[in-house]
Amino acid sequence: MAQNARSHKASKVVERMGKKLNRQMVGSLVGCVHCGMCAESCHYVLANPDDPTYAPAYKADQIRKIFKRNFDWTGKIFPWWVHAQDVRTDEDLEKLKDIVFGKCTNCRRCSLNCPMGVDFATINRMARGLLVSVGVMPEGVAVVSKDQWEVGNQMGVLPQDYLETIEWLSDELENEFKDTAARIPIDKMDADVVYAINPREVKYDPRTISDAARIFYLAGENWTMPSEGWDMTNFGLFSGDDELGGAVVQRVYEKVIELRGKRLVLSECGHGYRSTRCEGPNWSGTGVPPFVIESSVLTMLRYIKEGRIRVDKEKNRAAVTFHDSCNNARSCGFYEEPRELLNLLVTDFREMYPNRAENFCCTGGGGAMSMSEYTPQRLKSAIIKADQLKATGVKVVVTSCHNCVDGLTDVIRHYKLGMKVTQLVNLTANALVIPEKVVVPVEALISVVTLPLQGFKILVVDDEPDILTFLAAVLEDQGATVIQAADGEQALALTIQEKPDLVTLDLSMPGKNGGYVFEEIRNNPEIASTKVCIITGKPELRRLIYERPVAPPEGYLDKPVNEETLLTNIRMILELKRPHGHA
Amino acid sequence: MSETLRFVSGDLQLMALSFMAIVYIFRIRWLLRFKASGERQAPSGGMGTSSFKGIVYSWANIAMPWSMESTRHMSFFYLQFVVFHLAVAANIGMSFVIPYAPGLMKPMIVVRLLQILFAAACAIGCYRMYRRLSNPAIRLISTPDDFFSLALLTVWSFASIFAAPNRPDLGEGPLMVYFIMTAFFLVYVPFSKISHYLYYPFTRFYFGRTMGHRGVYPVKRVTQPKPTNI
Ligand code: SF4
Ligand code: SF4
Repeated sequence: MAQNARSHKASKVVERMGKKLNRQMVGSLVGCVHCGMCAESCHYVLANPDDPTYAPAYKADQIRKIFKRNFDWTGKIFPWWVHAQDVRTDEDLEKLKDIVFGKCTNCRRCSLNCPMGVDFATINRMARGLLVSVGVMPEGVAVVSKDQWEVGNQMGVLPQDYLETIEWLSDELENEFKDTAARIPIDKMDADVVYAINPREVKYDPRTISDAARIFYLAGENWTMPSEGWDMTNFGLFSGDDELGGAVVQRVYEKVIELRGKRLVLSECGHGYRSTRCEGPNWSGTGVPPFVIESSVLTMLRYIKEGRIRVDKEKNRAAVTFHDSCNNARSCGFYEEPRELLNLLVTDFREMYPNRAENFCCTGGGGAMSMSEYTPQRLKSAIIKADQLKATGVKVVVTSCHNCVDGLTDVIRHYKLGMKVTQLVNLTANALVIPEKVVVPVEALISVVTLPLQGFKILVVDDEPDILTFLAAVLEDQGATVIQAADGEQALALTIQEKPDLVTLDLSMPGKNGGYVFEEIRNNPEIASTKVCIITGKPELRRLIYERPVAPPEGYLDKPVNEETLLTNIRMILELKRPHGHA
Repeated sequence: MSETLRFVSGDLQLMALSFMAIVYIFRIRWLLRFKASGERQAPSGGMGTSSFKGIVYSWANIAMPWSMESTRHMSFFYLQFVVFHLAVAANIGMSFVIPYAPGLMKPMIVVRLLQILFAAACAIGCYRMYRRLSNPAIRLISTPDDFFSLALLTVWSFASIFAAPNRPDLGEGPLMVYFIMTAFFLVYVPFSKISHYLYYPFTRFYFGRTMGHRGVYPVKRVTQPKPTNI
């Protein structure tokens, strides 16, 4: 019997597939006529014309054959005739994993181009969920899912880190506007707006939080950020785990209800918007929540239209283009409002082609950024996006998604496009016309210290010379005294000898690796209090650090890291409260 | 007309058709056994979109080659699709017309038009077979059923060219072959990929409902302006 020959995990996958299948999925599984029309919609195919295994229909067939063998009569009776095949071993599951996670970003572009209405992205997500349910997944997916289950957010930001970040941003805002009302309210009851964000903002891009706070403040909004349930992103969308998806949105919804918030505003994040706004009620099974859910893009647009804030597009004179997040455009129909807002914010907006629901994926979607084992194939497929970006002739790409910011930044760096990625919240904040009563005093502006890291000694550790040079140059430019180490042994010796204020530490190095060095630092009373910021290209190694029986590192950054992110984080770690001030 | 031809063009067809209908009923019942998931969230997207519009747009999608990038880029392939499917529909229609309303096929122009259509379908079938064998991506996904179904339709179209004049008096061979093939086609269809037309209304209904509810359908396109010479 086929069933008996299956491994335990394979049996579970088949059993759970039977429970997960719905009519839409079955339609997509039986409806494909193998016409190949969808092939050229996929950026993987376009970038790999000689590799037919990237074709959406081929990828779908790897799932379809299991379905046919187990649930479809033709496949049960004449398996060879319709290419039905069972999944037997754990190796079969591993192979399937490399397809559903490594060869598809679930962007849904092929679905939109199938004459039969086959929605491959949905089938692919289902297959991901089945594999995740038996523990077969990329390490990065396991790590991020675990963080979202256990810590409550995708990036493992601890509650005190979140609250401290909000606190220092509030200090900055209060100082900037000389007004205590400019502070970011936490857990305010009966607010008109409850603002939920992407944890990436806390970790790598707090400027987007303060930009949003500036806008809310100037609009005179009665708003708050929640102390819990603030992560509106949802790894359940990427991992296919509906249970995680439901639990995460429920956490967000419940907090808004507890605060009696009237409107849940989501910061700019494509998959967060799709998960919280469009999929959440389906996953959580609770139906439409008793409050409005909207993207902050819509909120900002409304403020401008209602005259609650004024913007001057002359402040954003650089030519820009707009990249549509797949989740926003192809799964939520959210593509016109960002353009409407953009046209109010910049003087020179140029479309990229194709656009809106037909735009290409940033190639970092579907959780691809957390699966470092597939980075080479991801970046290879990114040539399609790179060409699309290049054709616009502009140097600034605007997008309404944090994940796309990272994906595009990677594409831009890899293909040396020399472009910058920004979001609508940054452009809106930059274009704000500050009314008289809150004009920032001149003294506040001129009290800028030009070398914010002056007096700090920083040891940078990495086995890649390019990265060492980059880190050293950026930190030295800010006034830091930088020492460099190219391996673990040297790093330990220099930490003891030089007693730096901070060590930036790569994890994967020959000889003594970063994990070992980190533990040695923490276990040596002489240097145990040295601040450490892990900078790694392997998110799957994160667990090795956080599960060590020592105090966690003060910071953690994923490579590639850009200058702004690096400095923001170093500043936070060194507890420099103001952007340009030395505490 | 011989008794044998009368049987294959009449009773045999009805038997094959009934068999197909019965299998289809089971097939649809099987599909409906799976729960349809709904869209619980408030509709998203622009003012001009709705679930209903999405469904209509989705069903009509195939008749709007401009609506999908794939059909826009592969317009020759799309044209083949149209001709091939028209020929198959005409062919099925002819299997009813010959035994029950032969008068409709009397005018020579009708016969000639049908023959041109069937010949075109036959040529397209041959080309598609070549494409399926020569294109590595298509070859990789092609099943024996894909090859057989295509071959069956191609040969059937070929046989129809000779059956279209409906002249048993000149020899019953072409009509006999045509009707036997038609009967086989009807029996085989429910087990093959050819039954995709049965699923089409379902897949496109649900996809259209979702995409309409979310404001993706109807797809809004903004095309690249043509460069102007100043
Ligand atoms: S998924 Fe659709 S477009 Fe792609 S091969 Fe199947 S039927 Fe054709
Ligand atoms: S969903 Fe996107 S990445 Fe996946 S196969 Fe389709 S087009 Fe390619």
